[in-house]
Amino acid sequence: MTDAKDPIVRIEGVTKSFGSFTALHEMNLNIASGEFVTFLGPSGCGKSTTLRILGGFEKPDTGRVILNGQDVTALPPNKRNVNMVFQDYALFPNMTVRRNIAFGLELKGMGQQAIKARIDELASFLELTAYLDRRPDQLSGGQRQRVALARALAPDPALLLLDEPLGALDAKLRAQVQVELKAIQRRTNKTFFFVTHDQEEALTMSDRIVVMNKGRIEQDGTPEELYFQPASRFVAEFIGETNLLSGRALPGDQGAAGFDWQGHQLRAAATVGKTAPAQGAVTASLRPERIQVQRDRPTTENAVQGQVVNRLFKGHRMLLDVAVGDTVVQAYTDTDRGRDLADGPVWLGWNASSLTLLAD
Amino acid sequence: MTRNTRILMQCIYWAFVLYLLIPLALMMLMGFKDSKFIGFPIRDVTLDWYLAVFQDSQVLNAMGYSAIIGVLSTAIALFMGTWIAVALTGRSFWGRAILLGLTLLPAVIPGVISAIAFRIAARLVGLEPGMWAIIWSHAIHNVPFVVLVVMARLSTLPKSYGEAAQDLGADPIITFFRVTLPYLTPAMIGGGIFCLLLSFDDFVRSFFLGGYEPTLPVLIFAKLRSGMSPEINAISTVVLVLTAVLGLWAERSMRGMKKRAAND
Repeated sequence: MTDAKDPIVRIEGVTKSFGSFTALHEMNLNIASGEFVTFLGPSGCGKSTTLRILGGFEKPDTGRVILNGQDVTALPPNKRNVNMVFQDYALFPNMTVRRNIAFGLELKGMGQQAIKARIDELASFLELTAYLDRRPDQLSGGQRQRVALARALAPDPALLLLDEPLGALDAKLRAQVQVELKAIQRRTNKTFFFVTHDQEEALTMSDRIVVMNKGRIEQDGTPEELYFQPASRFVAEFIGETNLLSGRALPGDQGAAGFDWQGHQLRAAATVGKTAPAQGAVTASLRPERIQVQRDRPTTENAVQGQVVNRLFKGHRMLLDVAVGDTVVQAYTDTDRGRDLADGPVWLGWNASSLTLLAD
Repeated sequence: MTRNTRILMQCIYWAFVLYLLIPLALMMLMGFKDSKFIGFPIRDVTLDWYLAVFQDSQVLNAMGYSAIIGVLSTAIALFMGTWIAVALTGRSFWGRAILLGLTLLPAVIPGVISAIAFRIAARLVGLEPGMWAIIWSHAIHNVPFVVLVVMARLSTLPKSYGEAAQDLGADPIITFFRVTLPYLTPAMIGGGIFCLLLSFDDFVRSFFLGGYEPTLPVLIFAKLRSGMSPEINAISTVVLVLTAVLGLWAERSMRGMKKRAAND
């Protein structure tokens, strides 16, 4: 899926250092037209550097950036058909909303009539019509965010860059804007390059997530692939909650890998082209909500026995801490069942596909 | 702070205010006195001295002359000061600190020294004493103040504003005129008014570099030499009121603009 037939952006062997700090280690990546790609990672992982290289604000030390078949590596931001929504929105304070949106259109040499039509179109689309003559300081955070989006979309860029644009919004508004943003992306069919450190944001909105760590791509896939088949320990820990089990890899059988954990012979997902070692010490990821907890032995491929040591009430469900040998495994269960399973021995069961062997 | 120190601080404050205001009040008051001699008691009150100010063509000419010099020297100082401030901000380069020091030097050199230096330099380059010589010296003296306020304002300009403009297709020149310069406007207005007041008030440079036509402070000085009269009080009061109004208005409007920009 990553090598779509018609990539709008090709990043070829791009490296970037700042002094002795290497922000990007030889990155290669294709982005398909109309994709919502999210770069996800902790601060300093290289996601913002990638964004700034695509925008033209940083020059890579080596490698090329190809946009729509054209090598744009050496082009400054004003010569690229790429626009950006800045983290602080960077709306021009001395201009009205209308003037802000018109800025890029005027510089494209568009006529007054066409500019007005484009502004009206975007304003009605983004529900900004009532605010066109206000200044940025007279708008709420969500409205400013939409103005920034309108301003960046106005010149019809081939690629839209979004630099953590939801960071300044409060939690409730952020959830709402996530939905809106995804809807806008679908309706405009634009290629969105979104940068965030918030894994939840990435999971909700993206078609594709690229997880970055220390200047390298850690994993590249759909939100579901990343969640259920994390390629590395870093990805498993960074996205969602998970149990990390330390054990030994065993020879697999019929489409499943083997995993020896505390003497239990478990079946794990066959690592499809991933880098987990086939032998020796290895860590496996097991999502808490993929585990069935019950009194009787479950019929799942894997089953182990344990002891409930703690319960955490979370409203619609309950998080159980189950001691298995010297390890505590966390498992979600619905609240009623959790109450019944208060004390005593329980069975934990899960299928091979839920247990992923990780590369370190 | 204890009660006693608070009372003490207030006393010092009010003593300072009185110390500042009493001479000004006396000056204004004497302008209304119906007599040639300045001093108490005041027997009769008259507006004649004030009327005389607005009928005295010498005074009016000097005011106009000072105003022209103020406006032109301010325009030059604003242009140069803003340009220097922008050039000195941003990426650091070798000699930046030295350049900044040189730029700020005119503000700290004693007036007499710089006036003599200007006089010598003006003769060397063949600049006749007169309006342009005065404008030149005022402009250079005022550049540091513009540089300081504009640099202070520039340091608060978010980097993303310029990047956003560039991102939307603006080259560095368009970015400067459409984004940076509007952002600097409040500082330039404030700095400009300050320059205007400095120039209007300047005596030493105007005296050393002036030709036959006196600026207002030079005229007042000349009149003083022929004897103190309430006319001088009246002139001074008019100038005081004009400059105070201008200064307060500038301060108010600048605060308003800064607030608006800070809220964005």
